[in-house]
Order: sequence, then C-alpha cells, then structure tokens
Amino acid sequence: MPNDAIYMKKKTICIAAMAGQSSWDTYWENALQRTNPNLGVHTERTIGGMVAAGISKRMNILAGLPYISTKNSAGNLQDQHGLQDLSIHLKYKLVDHAGFTVSGVLGGSIPASNYVAEFLPMSIGVHSKNLIGRAIFNYHTPGGLYSTLQGGYTMRSHIKIDKDAYQANDQVYYSNEVAIPDVADASIRIGMLKKTWQAELFYETNQCVSGDYIRRNDMPFPTNQMKMNAAGAYLKYQPSQLGGIVRFAKVLSGVNAGQSTMIMAGVLFQFSVGSHEMNHPIKMEKQ
Amino acid sequence: MKKLFKPIYLSVFIIGIIVFSCSKEVVQTNTVAPYSPSDLDVNAGKWKTYILSAPTDITVAAPLSLSDARYLNQVDSVKKAINNLTPADRATIDYWGAGTVYRWNEIARELAARYNLAPPANADGTYPVPDANNPLVVPKFPFANPPYTARALAYLSVAQYDAMVSAYYYKFLYNRKPIYKYDNSVPPQLPASDLPSYPSEAGVIAGASYTVLAAMFPGEIPYLQSKLAECKNARILAAMNISSENDAGESLGRSVAAKVMARAKTDEMGAANNQTLVPGLKDAASARGMKELWVSQETPLRPPMLPNYGSVATWNFSKTDLANIRPAIPYIVGSAEFNKDLEELRNIKENQTREQARIANFWSDGAGSYTPPGHWHRFACEAALEKKYSEVRMARTLALVGTSLMDAGIACWEAKYYYFAPRPQQFGISTSVGLPNFPSYASGHSTFSAAAADVLSYIFPEKASTFNDYAKEASNSRIYGLIHYRVDCEMGLVHGKKIGDFAIARGKADGSGL
Repeated sequence: MPNDAIYMKKKTICIAAMAGQSSWDTYWENALQRTNPNLGVHTERTIGGMVAAGISKRMNILAGLPYISTKNSAGNLQDQHGLQDLSIHLKYKLVDHAGFTVSGVLGGSIPASNYVAEFLPMSIGVHSKNLIGRAIFNYHTPGGLYSTLQGGYTMRSHIKIDKDAYQANDQVYYSNEVAIPDVADASIRIGMLKKTWQAELFYETNQCVSGDYIRRNDMPFPTNQMKMNAAGAYLKYQPSQLGGIVRFAKVLSGVNAGQSTMIMAGVLFQFSVGSHEMNHPIKMEKQ
Repeated sequence: MKKLFKPIYLSVFIIGIIVFSCSKEVVQTNTVAPYSPSDLDVNAGKWKTYILSAPTDITVAAPLSLSDARYLNQVDSVKKAINNLTPADRATIDYWGAGTVYRWNEIARELAARYNLAPPANADGTYPVPDANNPLVVPKFPFANPPYTARALAYLSVAQYDAMVSAYYYKFLYNRKPIYKYDNSVPPQLPASDLPSYPSEAGVIAGASYTVLAAMFPGEIPYLQSKLAECKNARILAAMNISSENDAGESLGRSVAAKVMARAKTDEMGAANNQTLVPGLKDAASARGMKELWVSQETPLRPPMLPNYGSVATWNFSKTDLANIRPAIPYIVGSAEFNKDLEELRNIKENQTREQARIANFWSDGAGSYTPPGHWHRFACEAALEKKYSEVRMARTLALVGTSLMDAGIACWEAKYYYFAPRPQQFGISTSVGLPNFPSYASGHSTFSAAAADVLSYIFPEKASTFNDYAKEASNSRIYGLIHYRVDCEMGLVHGKKIGDFAIARGKADGSGL
C-alpha cells in the first residue's frame, strides 16, 4: 500500500484483486448530522486491481485502478458506475536505522474514464488529476511489533463539469472549470508484522484544506470542504504466494461527508521475476 | 536505479507544484471590456413603457447650472478622485463600465442562485413556508425556484426599462453634457459618450434595480446597498458623472421602480402557493380525463410547488389568450402513445450515453442555480453585449425576454395544474439530474426556452438558429435527464413559441423601430 512502510523485495511483484463496499445512511450536511429519506442508504462498491513491484530493496512502485458503482436504497437518483482513477505511486526508503525507517512516497492519479463529476453523492469521483506526496515514519521491534505515523498531501487539479456556470463559495462562477480543494491526510497505525501475517489497528483523518460547505438541504458539490476521521483494522495473511487481506473502517466524525462503514477484502498473488530468486519461497520482507 | 530515480522524484514534484499551484483561480467568462454603444438610441425617450403612462410620470428637476457652486464642487471632487485612482478603483470602473443594466441583471441571477433551495422538512413531516419577514432564517426567503426567479427578473427588467425611457426623455429635455465635454482637464476613464449625462444612467438603473431586488430578496438589503453605492461611485471615479447627476438618476429610478412594484404587490403572487386549491385542481384534472395524477416523489410528501402560480398576472397577453394557447391534454396513462414515451425513457435509463448525460447536466439549472429563466437572461445579456447595445437597448431586450419568461412560467404552471400529469418517476424511472416537485406536463424548461429563444431570435435574427438549437437541446435535456416524457417537451416548445410571439408583437409596436 502507498501509505504503509512495507516493501516488496527487488524483482518481486504482488498482484491484488480487491472488492470493497462503503455505505452510509447518515451524513454531515455541513456540520449537521442527518439522515435523508430521499437517499436512504448510499452504497459505493469497488472492484479494483493493484500491482506492487520491488524495483530495488528500497524502492517500490505501486499502481491501482478501481471500478466503482454507486446506488441509493431510496429516492430516485440514478445509479452511476465506471472506471475511476488510475493511480501510480513510487515509494522510497530514505532512512533505515535500528528499526526506524522513513519513507517518502510520490504518486499521481488521472481519471480513467469520462465519468460525471458533479452528480454527488452518486458520482464515482470528482474527476481531478492528483499529485500526492507522503512521508511515512515507522518503528518496529525485532519481534515484529510496529508503529507507523504517516501523513500525505494531495494536490488536486481544477476539474471540468458539464455546466457553464455553478455556485460555490456563495457566488456564481461563470465557467465550466471548478477549483477544488487539496486534501491532507494522516494516520497512526499500530500492529504486528510476522513472516506470514500482519494485524493492525489504525486511526486516520482526511481533511480538505479549504472549500465551502453543503448548504442546508442542498446536495454536495466537489468544492465542499470534506473532513472525516475514521478508525479501523487491517489483517493480512500470506503463507505462500497466495494470500489475502481484510480491511474494516468506520467514519467516526466528519463535515460535509458521509458516515461511512467500509469493508474491503482482497486476494494477493506474489511472485518473483528474474532467475536467481525464482525457486525461493516468497515471504513478506521483515523490516 | 536509485541514482536514476532521485532526480525523477524531484522533477515530478517541482512540475507538479508549478502545474497545480499556478492555476488556483478559475477563469470566468463574464469579464467584459467597457465599450462605446454601437447606437445611442437617442429617441428612446419616446419608446412605449410597461407601467409608466408617460416618461413624465415622475418629475425630474432641472440640473444645477454650470456656474452653481455645488456643481463646481462636484466637478472638483471628480478631479480629485481621478488623480488618486487605486487598482481597486480601476477594477470597480471596469466592472461597472461593462454595463449597469447587465451588472444588475447578473447580481439578480447571483441572488437567485443563492436562494434557490427547497425548504427542509420539519421533524413532524410537514414543510415550513419561507417568511419574508425573517428572510435569513431557514427556510430562507425566498425559495428562488424558476417561477419566482422568472418573476423577480421580469420586474427588475421592466423597472430598468421604464426608468431608462423616462431618463432618456429628461436627458434630451435638459441636454446637459458630461463634465469632460466642458473641461478637458477631467479625462473620462471610460469610453466618452455623446449622451447627455443628466440624469445619469447608472443612477437610474441602480435606483430602480435596488428597489426591485430589495423587495424580492429582503435578506440581501445590506449587500444591495453596497452595490448601489459602488455602482454610483464607479461613475464618479470614471469622471463620467458628478454626484448630482447620479442622485437625480437614483431618485428617478427608485420612483419608477416603486410604481412597478405596486403592480407586483397586486399580481396575485401572494396567492400562488395556495395549497387549499389542490384537491379542487386534482378533481378537475380527473374530470378532464386524466386517469392517473401527479404525486410528490419526496419523503415526506412535499406540497406541490406554487399550484396557483398560473393565476399570476401576465405581461404580454390576456387570461383569455392563456386559455386559448394552453397545450392539449397529454397522453393518458396506459395509452399506446404514453407507453411509447415511457419506453423511450426506460431505454435511456438503461443506456444513457455520456453525451445525453452532458446535455442533461448542462441545462439542468436545478437547486442552487439561477434557474432556466436566469440562464436565458444570461444568453440575452451576452448577445446584447456582443452587439454593443446601449444601456436602454439592453434594458429593452431584457424586458422583452424577461416578461416573456415570466409569462411562460405562468402559462406553463397553469397547464401543469390544469392536467396534474404524473412524472415518469411514478413508473419506475430514476433521474440523473434531480426531480422537481410539481406535475410533469408540459415541461417548464421547454416552455421557458422556446419563449426566450423566440424573442431573442426576433431581436438577434442572425443568431436565431443558435437560440432555437439551444431551446431544442434544453427541451431534450429533460428527456435525457429522465424527468419528462417526450410529449411534455414537444408540447412545451410549441407553447413557449406562442408565448414568445406575444412579446415580439409588443416589441414591434413599442416605437423603437427595432
């Protein structure tokens, strides 16, 4: 993952197929926590592929592409679905000393299809091009206990919508171009990493650094200053080339956001390329 | 590998910062350069007004004599102002220099968008009604939905137009030239004009616009006051007017607008949301052969929007005309024609193309927007700016389009509640744009758009095909967005054109020769 301190060995590739669901029946309209009988339960399903590869002992490259579909259990808003954004990250271990590591991550994403950005909450994304920087601090004991503190910043490009004017920040913009806020995120993780398994608890926060708010009884818009804080758990088991992961998270508080419950599961397949490592059993690298 | 990737990291990061951070401001299309009108329309003082019986209904006193100490003082103030212009002053001059009628229309659209939100439900499942005496308490007053916005913009445009016609009368009665024609030490900061400067156009338009918009958006009075002051001040900073010219204009504009708003107070808008009429309207629709009637698709059930808006006073035709041009009864639920239209929507629901979604989104003009009437006022302004219209011809254009849009709203709403036709959502169709809370037939977008496109095609014949294409696309957008049957849209277009024709007849007979 782009936000953990785990590295693939050189010339090792991991392919993951993942399926997830995020749903909420409660959301924050600005700071007002409410339900909406005209939306019911909003559900977003994701099927995604991800590839991680070890370029060197210190450098990994990761790429992912999700297919997303959304629907509501009530009301009459049309379901949306499609390929969302293709992302690529480079992760580099800057410091590795006495159980302490510092990693830097640079990433980017671009929309992979021409999905509608302004039909929130049904839209599958906001259709921005993103540039992501991230720093990850990790400490682990010889026994496998670890703690990770990481923070990231996502710069988001202007987006184009289908309209020739829109309202944001209490004014009308005469343009089809929308400036949307950047996003800062941070998380703290505590877990155990062994040769064949990993278990982790985490708390994470995602905050737009600027933006406007959902007005009373209005729908969300990409300019909104979304904020959410979530807690969750992550499990990974990989006894051989084949492995699996499970992730659960729940949004505890937020602004201009849904109070989502998220579950995700994935199947991992790990293999080596090149001659010399082909016959060795592959294990996750201890840090 | 390691050595190779480090510089790549850095350069990607730097490029990213440049690409992303240099472009945080959105470039808008409403930056308009000040211009000299292609025609001053010097005979506009004789054009037919809507509310005033004559341009002399309001008296404007003669201007100060050129030797009056007050006049000379005011000229001195202008000289001081133009010698100390800040960049902010320049921005103010240029903003208002694009056109006073245009900028106040834009302000009105902005307020419409700000107030275009349906009231949230009460805990007990009822809905509160916005209160004009507490405009800033949720639900804010007004709920600037399409009929409300059509009406607000119509009264604004009529007040601007009548006030400008009267101002033109007095301009040529007194024939006072702008100060820079007498004194070349006060260079105008905007294109010089041969139009007499007393009373000032900016003062007239500001006074009229403020009076109408303060009544229509009472929660915005402090904002409107600041715009009024800024609008007048811009003319002094630009050496186009002195304060007594602005003040005489403002006073005239306010007085004309007061007469226009007297009509607004008695146009039956106060009864437009009379929900007690709804059972009777439903019974009458059933008696006309409507088998299935409209039901709110919101939870809790929301009362239908403005069921009696059809009774509001029209501008360009009588209530007899309204009944004569009302669209014929729509396809009855269960008929072969109805099933065909429903089948079309089912197909789009399953296979909506991205282009159909784009068209539906472009024209949606739903909650939080300036509504379809606002969109068409914008098109009217842009076409008039392109042709470098004078303030008075801009006002005439917006009054013709604005009254036609309000007439379209009234006639369309009358038909909607006359037939009380069900929405496609009552037959399992979803929507990609959001569902309005009133009966389906005929389509408001289609009626508004055809009326406005008709009037604009008369005023700008060289752009007729553009406007008619817009109207057709706006109409189709409601099929693509899945909230109207084809018959709603096609009949709405026919209806709208008939409504527009009445405004054109007025325009041809208003003495402008245009």
